[in-house]
Amino acid sequence: MKASATAAEIAGDVKAGRIKARAVVEAALKRIDRHNPMLGAFTEVTAERALETADSVDAKLAEGGDPGPLAGVPFAVKNLYDIRGLVTRAGSKINRDNAPATTDATLVTRLEAAGAVLVGALNMGEYAYDFTGENAHDGPSRNPHALDRMTGGSSGGSASAVAGGLVPLSLGSDTNGSIRVPASLCGLFGLKPTYGRLSRAHTFPFVSSLDHLGPFARSVEDLALVYDAMQGFDEADPAQSKRVNEPTAARLKHPVPGRRIAVAGDYFTGSAEAQAHVQKVAKALDATKVVTIPDAQAARAAAFLITMAEGAALHLDRLRSRPDDFDPEVRDRLLAGAMLPAVWIERAQKFRRAYRDKVLKLFTEVDVILAPSAPMTAPLIGQKTASFGGVEMPLRPHMGIFTQPISFIGLPVVSVPVWLEDGALPLGVQVIAAPWREDICLRVAHQLEASGTCVAPVARGFAEAEVGAA
Amino acid sequence: MAYKPFDADAMIDASAPLLQLQVAPEHRAGIKANLKTASKMAALVEQMKLEDDAEPAPVYRA
Repeated sequence: MKASATAAEIAGDVKAGRIKARAVVEAALKRIDRHNPMLGAFTEVTAERALETADSVDAKLAEGGDPGPLAGVPFAVKNLYDIRGLVTRAGSKINRDNAPATTDATLVTRLEAAGAVLVGALNMGEYAYDFTGENAHDGPSRNPHALDRMTGGSSGGSASAVAGGLVPLSLGSDTNGSIRVPASLCGLFGLKPTYGRLSRAHTFPFVSSLDHLGPFARSVEDLALVYDAMQGFDEADPAQSKRVNEPTAARLKHPVPGRRIAVAGDYFTGSAEAQAHVQKVAKALDATKVVTIPDAQAARAAAFLITMAEGAALHLDRLRSRPDDFDPEVRDRLLAGAMLPAVWIERAQKFRRAYRDKVLKLFTEVDVILAPSAPMTAPLIGQKTASFGGVEMPLRPHMGIFTQPISFIGLPVVSVPVWLEDGALPLGVQVIAAPWREDICLRVAHQLEASGTCVAPVARGFAEAEVGAA
Repeated sequence: MAYKPFDADAMIDASAPLLQLQVAPEHRAGIKANLKTASKMAALVEQMKLEDDAEPAPVYRA
């Protein structure tokens, strides 16, 4: 099975009996073994469990049963998802002293119920407070398209594993952009669903008000298949909505007219490099309208403050007892977050509702808003500053300037990968819709993929690495 | 409210004992930088007019 095979292709071949799930999983394990030392994507490989799961998929098929839409598809999860028998490290040193998880995260259980096969846990920025994909304890995850460059964070390993062809699917989390920024830097399709859509149960949290979970993939069909398989109410997540399942995969080919698509102006045009990528997408969709998302800068600021304060409250005991065991960059932000006046946070939460009401009005005029996923292509690993609008600024917080005002009010987004020329590094564009309209984001992404405007290839040097083919 | 520089050291010295946090000398510069950034962010949020009946969104429902 080639590194570039999509989840849909793998499941089709497995169900048709052209390849055994075990052979697919063995090939993935070989690729991980060969390439992970270079990529730093995986922190743990669950080989024994993966082979057992694959065997059960093959056994079900042999009995004439249907293992599900993701039959035999290998996947991996950011290491803040609980995996039965492993310690959930959440990118930290401190959590390694915790007891192993006794159950799997709900979304892991859902994907395995659909026939997918978990093969391991993925590197991430400490406690998800990160936009770089670097990790002070495990080393950086590396961008398969340029190994000296960042993956973006905090779901850096999740992006590296998929762009490097180790697995066709991975899961990450996104509080302020941690799926959309790595998808942008590594040239992948990434979905951040509506806040409250997918269960977060049995994952290590960061900012309850803003935490979302979601998938990465190299095709929009795969993104839709994995998203559909994860939907469904779970009373173990108190923030989850009781909304009914709204499957998307069968409706991908319904186009969205260009007159219902707009580009986000003003605040979102601050990076010329990013704008060039947005314009390529707008042109392909015949989208000429421009809308202003009001108060976006204040929205980003409010998300920033809520993140600092909720993150600090979550980690307060650890900040007291083990401050030197944190990544220093994460620790200093959390210590500062503990000291913020409560009124700042309360006003930020009140502003969130007011801002939501204003932004939702835009969706009476348009169905989709386009905005950059990141202000720049992948920076060098270790880089601390970059030029933003001609001013040299700290890199780390600025990678999220375009994603934070969107996740702040939980809007669904597919980040689509855009390459201006062959050999260039990719940059993502957010395809943003009204709450609960993931289907629209996915349909537009599919339109862009079908026209060749957006592609998410396995990185050169990894694509041809065919091992263990059946 | 425009952003005004403030005494971050005084804020750290006042709140750390209340929070039972030890602030090692090597942590101070990072905390100060983050507090200064946060105060600029708070100034941006304070510019947003909120009505007296504005409801917060602690458990947000989209």
